[in-house]
Amino acid sequence: MMAPAAVLFLVFFVLPLCQGVGISMTDWNGFSEEKNFVGFANFIRFFSDKRALHAIQVTVVFGLVSPFLLNVSGLFLALLVDSKRKSRVLLRMIIYLPSIISPLIMGYLWTLILSPRTGVLDQILQRFNPSLSFDWMGVPDKALWLIIMVNVWQFTGGPMMVYLAGLQSIPKDLYESAKIDGAGRMQAFKNITWPLLYPSAKINIFNNIIGSMAVFDIIMAITMGGPGYATESLSIYIYRQSFNGFAGYATAIALIMFLIIAVPIGITMRWMKNKEIEM
Amino acid sequence: MKRVKKWAAAITVFITGFIFLIPFYIMFYLSLSSPGDSIAEEWFPRALMVQNFREAWEKASMGRAMVNSLVITVGAVLLLVFCAACGGYGAARVKNKINRMIFYIMVLSMMVPGIINTVPLYIMMRRINGINTYWGMIMLLACQSLPFSVFLYESFIRTMNSSLEEAAIMDGCTRFEAFWRIVFPLLKPITATVVIMQGVGIWNNYAQSVFFLQNQNYHTIPLAISTFFRPMELIIICLPPGRQLVLRLLQWFF
Repeated sequence: MMAPAAVLFLVFFVLPLCQGVGISMTDWNGFSEEKNFVGFANFIRFFSDKRALHAIQVTVVFGLVSPFLLNVSGLFLALLVDSKRKSRVLLRMIIYLPSIISPLIMGYLWTLILSPRTGVLDQILQRFNPSLSFDWMGVPDKALWLIIMVNVWQFTGGPMMVYLAGLQSIPKDLYESAKIDGAGRMQAFKNITWPLLYPSAKINIFNNIIGSMAVFDIIMAITMGGPGYATESLSIYIYRQSFNGFAGYATAIALIMFLIIAVPIGITMRWMKNKEIEM
Repeated sequence: MKRVKKWAAAITVFITGFIFLIPFYIMFYLSLSSPGDSIAEEWFPRALMVQNFREAWEKASMGRAMVNSLVITVGAVLLLVFCAACGGYGAARVKNKINRMIFYIMVLSMMVPGIINTVPLYIMMRRINGINTYWGMIMLLACQSLPFSVFLYESFIRTMNSSLEEAAIMDGCTRFEAFWRIVFPLLKPITATVVIMQGVGIWNNYAQSVFFLQNQNYHTIPLAISTFFRPMELIIICLPPGRQLVLRLLQWFF
């Protein structure tokens, strides 16, 4: 019964991964017949490649800040819409709406809003005061934060839904008994809601870290890694290197990227394991 | 006090809704505006330029892209549901060592983002002539969503009562028949989840299609839009932004 799944998985995942380890130790350019074994040279080269190290920095900042913000806003919004009232149910749908649209499309939409001079935001600002202008996209330090904000705006609906499901599975009588025992709302949240949301938080943190560390579309749409290569993530760097005739090097970076993702995932897994609560 | 709280909640709800809707309004505005319009001056486009849509549709050959996206998404989702349901069933019910191992490897592989495999996958696809083909892309995308879907099916099937299938097998069904005729129809809620969640992901896929569908004739919607948008500065100067935005609106509708 496992056969169709196993075959598909083997051919399109396991085999390429194994092959990748081999390719990462060659200087192959991806097109020619020539392929020389270079050992760990690609990995050594990586750590003296300034652009690659910068890409790590971008990936790590994006990959940690954005899950954090996604979870904070997701939890806040879940608490806000956790009600049967029609307005809240409608709000749920509105918040979830951007998540189902391609990040590429949303990225383009936001460029039209945020870009300097021609952007909608800039035009509105200038109407109020001509000296005001909004040019975060062109400033290396700020562009990444802009992308993070757009990303959180777009994808916060997912974590919200997971937290909402978690919230709705908490038995209501727990709150009643807490109230009888004299607990305030903050105390009830801290001692009942939050601990019982750990499983939801675990799923969210996992998904968001994996998704954010591999970020590709939204950066491509908003800045294409620019200005310069200020917002170039590892995924984009891999994409560029593999098209520029450095297939071996690109594969080596991909393997390093996996290790970089494994570290925060491992830490959260460890941290979460001790906090699991039995109902 | 209670009244203040009620109002505060209502205002929070309103502002949140506003934050999430305003970009969509801007998209609507830009897609229907004519070249001279500016949202800073008027809150509604002066003339509704519906021809923007037609022009954009033709310029980016959206018809073609729509067909491609549809073929790839439907194909990949069908393949995915079949493989994942069978796989999940196997992992949950036929508990031998090989099945458990395959299942655990799949679960672990969920931690590996797709881009890591791209270069070796590209080489393999070129060897088997899978680049710029529907079937290549279908198999690739189905495989990418496979681990999570198998995981979903497995956890659902494990909570199900197995007496129905056992009765069917007793009556002479093979294992596969018992699964396909009895268990699979009961899996509807999970199938719906998989179709919606993974279907949206496959429909929107860009990171993989940009590598494996370089031929214009096979461009899916995200690719068609991105090639249309790429010479960004030029287009923004030459064309009213409305026409590019129309494309995005289109994708949102379909």
